[in-house]
Amino acid sequence: MSQHKRAENGYRSRMRTNNTRFACWAAAWLGATALMGVGPRIFWSGSPVFTLLAVGLDVVVGVGLIAASTKYVMDLDELQQKVYLNALGITVGVAVIASIPLSVMNRYQFIAFHVEISHLVILMSVTFAVSAVYGSVRYR
Amino acid sequence: MKNRLKVLRAERDWTQAQLADALDVSRQTVNAIETGKFDPSLPLAFRAARLFGMRIEEIFSDEDRGGATDGNNNNPR
Repeated sequence: MSQHKRAENGYRSRMRTNNTRFACWAAAWLGATALMGVGPRIFWSGSPVFTLLAVGLDVVVGVGLIAASTKYVMDLDELQQKVYLNALGITVGVAVIASIPLSVMNRYQFIAFHVEISHLVILMSVTFAVSAVYGSVRYR
Repeated sequence: MKNRLKVLRAERDWTQAQLADALDVSRQTVNAIETGKFDPSLPLAFRAARLFGMRIEEIFSDEDRGGATDGNNNNPR
């Protein structure tokens, strides 16, 4: 099984590396986003220069996160890509379908709280996680 | 699509993880193919054929084609 020996740990080690890379970029992006959010109030008293620098840093790290995410998806095997794509499709659908009624309900004050973009991000994250787990279990 | 992946693997005494490593996919994918939940792409089928030293049609077969030998083939000739 020489071919097996050659390929041994290929996929798994590649995915381990990609997982670590993606986790590092995600942590960096969360840090940069947090800095951008609280920095003007806590660290530099609203200085526009530092705020712009923080925004720039957030965008640069965000681009890195997107690149890491793309590499992660491209390195998945075909079944994992299918699960990922299905989860992504459901997430986009839920986001589009939920956002418009939420916006209308918010405008006419049918809901007690004020709807913000962060609520949509949370909805998308939860939908993606549930869809990905469901897809993964389905093919187990 | 039917396949003989599980039989071929068992004949060689390989685990799903070993076969997954050899095919450069996850163990979950090997399991899904073996249980018929997922049909592999042509490149992956070729990789499996190369690994077992067989032709693709000796490993994978179309389930509908099974009826053809029984005279139930509705495909145009």
